[in-house]
Amino acid sequence: MSAKDHFIIIGNGPAGNNAAEVLRENDKKARISIISTESFSFYYRHRLKDFISGRIPAEDLVVKHYSEYKDKNIRLRLGQFVEKIDPEKKILYLKHMEKINYTKLIIATGGSPRILPSLTIFQDYLTMFSTYSDTVGLRHRIEKAKEIVVLGGDLTSFSFVKSLVKACKKVSFLLFNDAFWPISLTSEMILKIEENLKSHNVATFFNDSVEMIKKSKSKYTIETKQNNKIKSDIIISLMGMIPNIRFILGSSIDTDRGVLVDAYLRTNFKDIYAAGDCAQIYNPILKNYWVSIGWMNAEEQGKIAALNLLGDSKIIEPPKEEIFEYEGIKVNTSWWKKF
Amino acid sequence: MSNTDIVLEICGSAGEGTISSGEIFNRYISSIDFEIMSFDTYPSEIRGFGKCVAHSRFSTQKIFTPGKYTDILIALNDAHSISQLGHLKDTGVVIYDSKPPKYHEEDKSIVGWMEPGMISYGIPFNDLAQKAAGNSRGRNMVALGAVCALFGVDHEEFKNTIIQRYAKKKQIVIDNNVNSFVEGYNWANDNLTKIDSISFKKGKNKNEKESIIINGNQAVAKAAIDSELHLYAGYPITPATKIMEILSHELPKKNGIMLQTEDEISAIGNVLGAGFAGKRSMTATSGPGFALMTEFMGLSVMAQIPAVIVNSQRGGPSTGLPTKTEQSDFNAAVNGGTGDLPRFVIAPASVEECYDGTTLAFYLAEKYQTLVVILLDFFLSNSIRNIDEPTPPTEKMLNSNIAPNEKELKDYVRFKETKTGVSPRSIPGTPNGMYTTTGLENNERGKPQYDGKLHTKMSDMRYRKLNSALNDVPKPKWTGPKKDIDVGILSWGSSAGAAYEAATIANKNGHRVAVLSSLVVFPVNEVDLTKFCNESKQILIPELNYSGQYANFIASYINRPVERLNMVSGLPMASEDVLSKIDEMIAS
Ligand SMILES: Cc1cc2nc3c(=O)[nH]c(=O)nc-3n(C[C@H](O)[C@H](O)[C@H](O)COP(=O)(O)OP(=O)(O)OC[C@H]3O[C@@H](n4cnc5c(N)ncnc54)[C@H](O)[C@@H]3O)c2cc1C
Repeated sequence: MSAKDHFIIIGNGPAGNNAAEVLRENDKKARISIISTESFSFYYRHRLKDFISGRIPAEDLVVKHYSEYKDKNIRLRLGQFVEKIDPEKKILYLKHMEKINYTKLIIATGGSPRILPSLTIFQDYLTMFSTYSDTVGLRHRIEKAKEIVVLGGDLTSFSFVKSLVKACKKVSFLLFNDAFWPISLTSEMILKIEENLKSHNVATFFNDSVEMIKKSKSKYTIETKQNNKIKSDIIISLMGMIPNIRFILGSSIDTDRGVLVDAYLRTNFKDIYAAGDCAQIYNPILKNYWVSIGWMNAEEQGKIAALNLLGDSKIIEPPKEEIFEYEGIKVNTSWWKKF
Repeated sequence: MSNTDIVLEICGSAGEGTISSGEIFNRYISSIDFEIMSFDTYPSEIRGFGKCVAHSRFSTQKIFTPGKYTDILIALNDAHSISQLGHLKDTGVVIYDSKPPKYHEEDKSIVGWMEPGMISYGIPFNDLAQKAAGNSRGRNMVALGAVCALFGVDHEEFKNTIIQRYAKKKQIVIDNNVNSFVEGYNWANDNLTKIDSISFKKGKNKNEKESIIINGNQAVAKAAIDSELHLYAGYPITPATKIMEILSHELPKKNGIMLQTEDEISAIGNVLGAGFAGKRSMTATSGPGFALMTEFMGLSVMAQIPAVIVNSQRGGPSTGLPTKTEQSDFNAAVNGGTGDLPRFVIAPASVEECYDGTTLAFYLAEKYQTLVVILLDFFLSNSIRNIDEPTPPTEKMLNSNIAPNEKELKDYVRFKETKTGVSPRSIPGTPNGMYTTTGLENNERGKPQYDGKLHTKMSDMRYRKLNSALNDVPKPKWTGPKKDIDVGILSWGSSAGAAYEAATIANKNGHRVAVLSSLVVFPVNEVDLTKFCNESKQILIPELNYSGQYANFIASYINRPVERLNMVSGLPMASEDVLSKIDEMIAS
């Protein structure tokens, strides 16, 4: 590779960072840039819940400090959003109105909070979070709040509730078991979860759903189908993630739910790869696409995409490890069964 | 209330309203009782186009320097603003135009160059200004609106400041500016999530005294008017031209005269002519013009004619660096000219002192019938502060000429020997007060005479005036501990501010650092100087010149080694610069 190469990685999560590391290890000369919307350093998303509930300071979220990028001559462009890709001309168009040329590209843009269609009319009343900046203001609001309702539709919601309880909040939990992400909960699981939440003094509403949300002053009232009325200072909706690929649509890079890639993590364009939560990967044996979630999967995919970009031919295997664990229930999240 | 101390910069191209938005910002921030210190950088005034920066530091504390590192940078123009990132703090905020008319090429956008940790807020300046006024002129106001939304500023009060600023303009201009501001404010409120922790809701408690926003040049001009200046003669030169510009409006209102001469030689000649006639007169220039004036400076001293010269120093030598600041005319101010030329040299350290130093200059020039040089510099000339309305000169200061009494007029001896060295001076037209005077050495009656004995006596008299004036000028300012000083800083002119701030921080850190600075740098008050140096284990002299002109000068008085901090970067001295030198000296 030559110094004229400019490898760009979109996304500063585990996939993007691992890709950048591998690229630099194997190519000392090329320009390497990471572009990411978020202004905060590379951090552990799963610790956000503890940060929100005031249990850890922001420093404890950080995986990697800025100086480490400088040391490796990786240019970190934070707070910058890629709005459009022109894969023919190999140009990225950034929201702040800059054009950047790349020679090879890795898309590692992760996902954003999903909102259930049935809840979109109440969107303004719901608080969602998946990034550090989402949580900065929220931390303050949670600190002041006494009663909190969690609309739980994903695995994160359980551990988040636990974190709130530890912070001495009065918590109510509405389980969306028929729209749960990324797996379908078995009735055995649901029972265990309910039992567990109750033992932590969480008010549970398990076979119910939201009928109406009203707001008066700064207080919300949720009216459920089963005529329950739950009062709350904040309503937090945790319903899983959808891949951040909107900016790619229309670029002629193939997408479905995520960016479509082959087992080498290559897109339909020769020099463009995708890795992590945003990728939808072809499995030659199953002859179907799979989408992975989870930190470790993202790390692994980042590495493989980078190696292949440099000329290797590594195939990504759907991981066998169990990534999420909740009170003894282990879930293999390598398959994204539902949106 | 916790302390607020923030540096905000607005950077744009000439014509984008950079300086005027800085001015509005300063007015508002001053009205909510922050202490401000601001500094505008224009494109080289000689060339006319290019980068403008309005730099403002505001604080709930007393401040003396414009601050080295910026907290908030408003980029009205990406290309120009990129180089300002070099002194943006690690967690600094950039506010930029997120929708310019076309895409920037790679690396031509400010956001692209931001370091991780810095925070950017994109606001569609252009679109919002277009929406508000149908043109993009209000981009600067959109930016100010966003600033108000982001940092918790009362937008209604701010709006009033805009209205006041444009009060003399047509209603449409006011409306366009206000509407652009409101668009920016609303858009930022609706669309931005604040992720920085900066806020500047209000300043310190209300001060009873009226405050004014003024820069060094304006303070000099105001003081000159208040000192009943009658004639200003000058030739334009950066950074002193503004003084002339102001006086061209203001002097005629007071029946004074502003005369633009063909060059600096003529300017000082006119000043001496008016001075001889008993009228207060002055000129203002910079290094190259000052060099041309040295011949007439000699005449002022020899013929004992009051004259005030402002030299606003810029980077030198020769035409040098017209829009950069430096303190490298100290030697020229103190020693410039031929022969033994006793004169007063006044070096204000702040905008307040620009006023006080100028009123003092007229007083001294008239009373001691000699030349007074006021040393400003580019930074001080352009540095904007909100200061309490200054105290105008007293009656005594306004009428300081020592005129001959009736008895003396019976047989008038113009250069009569006196204890103080000051001979009563008659103003032309005074009955029986006629005399002759020239640039030649002369006897007591003004008649040319060259014998050695007389020259010795007259030289002695001319120097004696200065010494007797030492009790007539403010004593040097001694701040910090009076005894057992680890580092004693001898400071002069505009770099004194950095010395005060650095000393304050060093003292908070448990050291003993004091500063001695004098408004009148020549003649030297040796009593205070000696006392200060005796109490100081080490002496530091920070100044903005390469050779250490003040350090070399003071060495002959204090007879001991001094540490020097010399900088010629073109920028004002920062407290950080002095502080690191102090730390180094204490550690060694
Ligand atoms: C609250 C929470 C808890 C979690 N808990 C766990 C857990 O316990 N265990 C586990 O394994 N996983 C957990 N996860 C999931 C895990 O964090 C993700 O799977 C992982 O971060 C995905 O990595 P990634 O690199 O693909 O993308 P991400 O980490 O999502 O990073 C993508 C980056 O791309 C940026 N980006 C997106 N679009 C653009 C664009 N157009 N231009 C520029 N930049 C863009 C984003 O700003 C983001 O910084 C959790 C996630 C959340 C939100």
